[in-house]
This record gives sequence, structure tokens and C-alpha cells, in this order.
Amino acid sequence: MKEPEPTLEAGPAQQKQQSNKSESLVVIDQLVKQFGKLRAVDNLSMTISAGETFGLIGPNGSGKTTLIRMLVGLVKPTGGSIQIMLERMPSAKIAPRIGYMTQLSALYNDLTARENMRFFCNIYGLRGKEQKQRIDEMLERVDLADRIDSVVSTFSGGMKQRLSLACALVHGPRLALLDEPTVGVDPELRRSFWDYFAQLNKEGVTIIVSTHHLDEAARCTRLGLMRFGVMLAQDSPEELLHQSGQANMEDAFLYFARSYHVPERS
Amino acid sequence: MSFSRVMALAARIIQQVLRDKRTLALIFLVPLLIMTLLYLVLTNTSSARTLAIVYPTGTGSERIKTLIDSLLPGQDKLHTISISSDQVDNTLKNGNADAAVIFPADFAQQILNNQNPTVQIKLQGSDPTVASAMSDLTQSFTHQLGIAIAALKSQGGNVPSTPTTTLPFTVGTPQYLYGGPQYTFNDSIAPVFIGIFSFFFVFILTSVAFLRERSQGTIERVMVSPLTRVELVIGYICGFALFALVQSLVILLFVIFALRVHYSGNLALVFLVSALLTIGSVNLGIFLSTFAQNEFQIVQFIPLVFGVQIFLSGIFWPVAQLPGVLRPLSYIMPLTYANDALRGVMLKGADFTGIIGQLGALVLFALVMVLLSAATMRRQIA
Repeated sequence: MKEPEPTLEAGPAQQKQQSNKSESLVVIDQLVKQFGKLRAVDNLSMTISAGETFGLIGPNGSGKTTLIRMLVGLVKPTGGSIQIMLERMPSAKIAPRIGYMTQLSALYNDLTARENMRFFCNIYGLRGKEQKQRIDEMLERVDLADRIDSVVSTFSGGMKQRLSLACALVHGPRLALLDEPTVGVDPELRRSFWDYFAQLNKEGVTIIVSTHHLDEAARCTRLGLMRFGVMLAQDSPEELLHQSGQANMEDAFLYFARSYHVPERS
Repeated sequence: MSFSRVMALAARIIQQVLRDKRTLALIFLVPLLIMTLLYLVLTNTSSARTLAIVYPTGTGSERIKTLIDSLLPGQDKLHTISISSDQVDNTLKNGNADAAVIFPADFAQQILNNQNPTVQIKLQGSDPTVASAMSDLTQSFTHQLGIAIAALKSQGGNVPSTPTTTLPFTVGTPQYLYGGPQYTFNDSIAPVFIGIFSFFFVFILTSVAFLRERSQGTIERVMVSPLTRVELVIGYICGFALFALVQSLVILLFVIFALRVHYSGNLALVFLVSALLTIGSVNLGIFLSTFAQNEFQIVQFIPLVFGVQIFLSGIFWPVAQLPGVLRPLSYIMPLTYANDALRGVMLKGADFTGIIGQLGALVLFALVMVLLSAATMRRQIA
């Protein structure tokens, strides 16, 4: 018999947030995605508030990427609903306010960093002086200012990742969905990324990020632990540690994974 | 529909192509190279053939010889050599002649005695086109000779010593409805190549570019952005249409001024045809790239999309002369109509109304392609 899903318990951090920002930016209700026999996302429900960084933690194949792709509208859900900024998805209206970063670096390899960013700025309607300013600022943030006119095919994997993040955020989205943004990025730069995410949160930007790094998990406002398309637990990092009685996020994850019997699916 | 987004995409495509020097060479230099080669090869079609004649040698043969020589076309059209009957096979083998006409030695005497001599024609044969042409030529010549001799015989029962070469009527200088005597096969080939190059390069460039959007993952970024699918297609069309039109201009200028190809009509229509072809081939490229996982698989489409059209769209063989079973295929190919329109404009001086049917067919092709690419656009992502 299936255990009831862990409910969204409002931990102390959350309660504080909810009193400040009552709007739920993203509302997901009983979301299902079926690929043939495979249930990639299984009856997922959650809400994400404005201005928070929501981390998706889980092994490969847990459905994190599928969830993100459904949120941006690349994949059509089999069941359930998604609401972003009060718009029922799919909706073209909110496209300008969303930033998306895939696992593939998704850059034009034959163009320079500047040309890539210019293109994305142009299709998001960012022009002129403001465009130039934002491009310079973002490339500074991801530490690629010295390679602005280099062709992307000459970049290392980590550099492509950084440029990809810059392209995702250059147009100043209200909601950023980042699929493993720190792969191949050195620890110092990783830390500065997360400092930037915290700053974005202060500015009211909401971030949904998936990651394997459990030290990054600690910096999220709230976490969602996923496995086999199911949300095992979602709460602030402190609350999750408290609930599981574990000392670190890794053990907490294993605790939740074990205590939630997910039948093996093909 | 945002004009600025479409232009941003077109600008990016242009940037990408401009950065790739090899592709630029392919688009602009290769067509000129091919046109030049074609021109040089095709201009040599007027190489004169050689006919070996074994003249009769018996009594009365002088007059026959004079008659024969007066009936032959000029040396610039047909080179003739005189050989003896035992040299025939060697002459043909050595390539010194393409065919031989052999008169028996006592030909004149046999004619006089109404003995109906046999004139033998022998063809070298290893090149069927040459053999066929020489067979026509020798048979026509000997037929003329027969008529001349029969006419002379009926006049006086004898072959006169100086047969008259002045005709009782005048043949007017040949008039041409289209073109003129200075037009060569080159002039009929050059227009269609403008269409071919437009179609081919745009198709290849678009399908590879679109494939790369998918394999690089950028198509997803674009799909998530405010850029709509319609804007995506139009952006691609605008980007590549620029290159197609510039290419057409470069080729046109080259063939007209460098190769001195003759033309009659309104050259602006040439660009119209090129533009319509581009719209169709961009969308065909988008459509087919859905079915390719990598560039090599796109290359595999070339014989199907392009090779077949080379044979069936009337480039070398007129559509009306193709076997009946193949003709319906010709009529569904865009190049058939493009070639017709381009030749109509450049050789026949057709105006807009003159090629309106072909333009309509190209518009229809473009529409069908747009529908196909729109239908598969969803498949571009997971």
C-alpha cells in the first residue's frame, strides 16, 4: 500500500518567507508524465514562492529534468496541471519572464560569446545600451569577460556552462529554471554563482535549480528530494535534517529514500 | 509577430554563414567554377566530323566526283578525305574518319547501264551518338546524290559535264522565333543552373543549420523564448534568402559578362523565381532535417531530393521527351517549373504573365513545404 505523500510542512524559514511574499509563483498540481511504460513524473504536487531558490535533488532518472522541461513548456504533461505567474501552462505570455538553462550547453558554437548573448538578448527584446550593459555585466559575473569575443567552439566545457548560465539570465527573468548549472565549474566560481542566486532572490527572482552537489543543497531556500519521479520530501534544508534526524543532507536523502517505498518500475 | 525578433534570427544566420569561409566559397565560387567548366565543355560541340569517301574510279567517274563534291556540306561542317577501298577499315580504326561512304569502282558505268549499283556506308560505331549522327548524314547525302543523278538522267539520259549548282529557288536566311543563330546549348543551360544552385545550396545549408540547432540544444532555448515557430521559419527564410539572391546575382553577372551568355528577358523575374525557390527549399530543409540525426544522414537525402531532379526537371532532356512513366514525377518537382520559368525569361523574353503558371506552381510548392515543416516543428524537440 502506498504511503501518503509527505505534506508541505512550513518550517521556520518558510513561515518567515510566506509572511513576506504570499504569492505562489509556481503551482504544480498532481503532475504526471508518462513515456510509454515509464512514469517519469508521478503525481507531483508542489508550490514555489516568489523570491526563493528551490533545489531539486535526486539521482539521474529521478525526473528532475523532465519536471523542469514541463515547467518551461518543452514537454507536454500526461496529466495534472502547471500554473506559473497565475498563467495556466502552456502559455506564450510569460515566455519573456522565464530563463532556462539546459544540461546541454545550448550555444551556437560558431559564434562568439558576445554574438550568442546578443542573439538571445534580441529575441527577448533587450536592445541598445541596456543590452550592452547587461551583456557586460553577466559575462563579468560568470568570469568570461576576457573571452567575450572568442568563438564558443574554443571554450572548455566549464566555460560553455558559464556562458550558458549567462545567456539564461541576461534578459532578467523573474523565474529561472536551471538544470545542473554548476557542472564542470570550479568550487570558487560555484560559490560566487550561489552568492549571485542569493542576490537574485533578494531582488525577487525565483530560481528552480537541479543539482547533484549536496553542499549547494544547503544554500537553497527549500529542497525537493526526488526519486523515480516522486517527490520524497520538500522542505527547507534545516527542516529536512530535523525531520530525518540526520547530520548531513546525504544521509537525510538516504533516510527519505528508504522510508518511502517506491515500487520498482520498468 | 515581431519583426525585430525575425530580423535578429536572420542576422544571426547571416553572421554564422559569413564566419564560415568555406561555405561562402561553396556558395559563391563553386557555381562560377562549374558554369565556366560547363561553358568550356559545351562550346566545343561544333567539332566537325570526318567522312572518308571511296570515290568511283572507272570511266565517267570524274563527273560523278564533281557531283559528289558539290553536294557535300562545307569543310567547316564536315571534313572529308579520299581513300581507297582497302583502306576503309584501317581508316575507321585509326580514328581518321567517323564513317565511310564506299562507291564501287565502276559506279558511273553501272549508272549509265541502269545496273543499280550499291553504295555502301560503314560507320565506326564505338560512340553511338557520333554513329547515329553520321548515319543520318551519309544516308541523307547519298539520298540527295541519288535524286540529283536521277534528275540529271531523266533530263538527258546522261550525266552532264558540268552539273549546275545554282538552285531554281532561294532559301531565305533562317528566322528564329526565340534566340538566334548565335545562341548555343550553353545559353539554354545557364538559366537553369541559376535555379539549381539556389535550390541545392539553400536546402543543404538550412537542413544542416536546423540539425545543428537540435544537436547543439539551441532549438530548445529558442522554443522557450518569445520567438514563435512562425517567426523561426520566417527568420530562416530571410537569412538564407539573402544568400540565395546574392548568389543568383553573382551567377547572373558572371554568365552574362564573363561567359557572354545571351539572354532576352527581364532579369528581375530571375530573382523572383530564385526567391520563391528559396522559400520552398528552406522549408524542405527544415522538414527533412527532422529525419536526420547527423550531417551524414542529411547528405543521404541529396540523391533523392536533388539527383532525381537533375534527370527529370528538363535540364538536359526536355520533359516532353521523357518516357511517359516518368513524366508525372517531373510535374511534382519544383525545378521543372523553375527551369521552365528561367528559360522562358532568358531565352524567350517572357514577362511576368508569361511565366505566371510556373510561378504559381512554385508558390504551391513553397506552401506545401511550409505546411510540412510546420507539422514537424513539434518533433524538433523531445
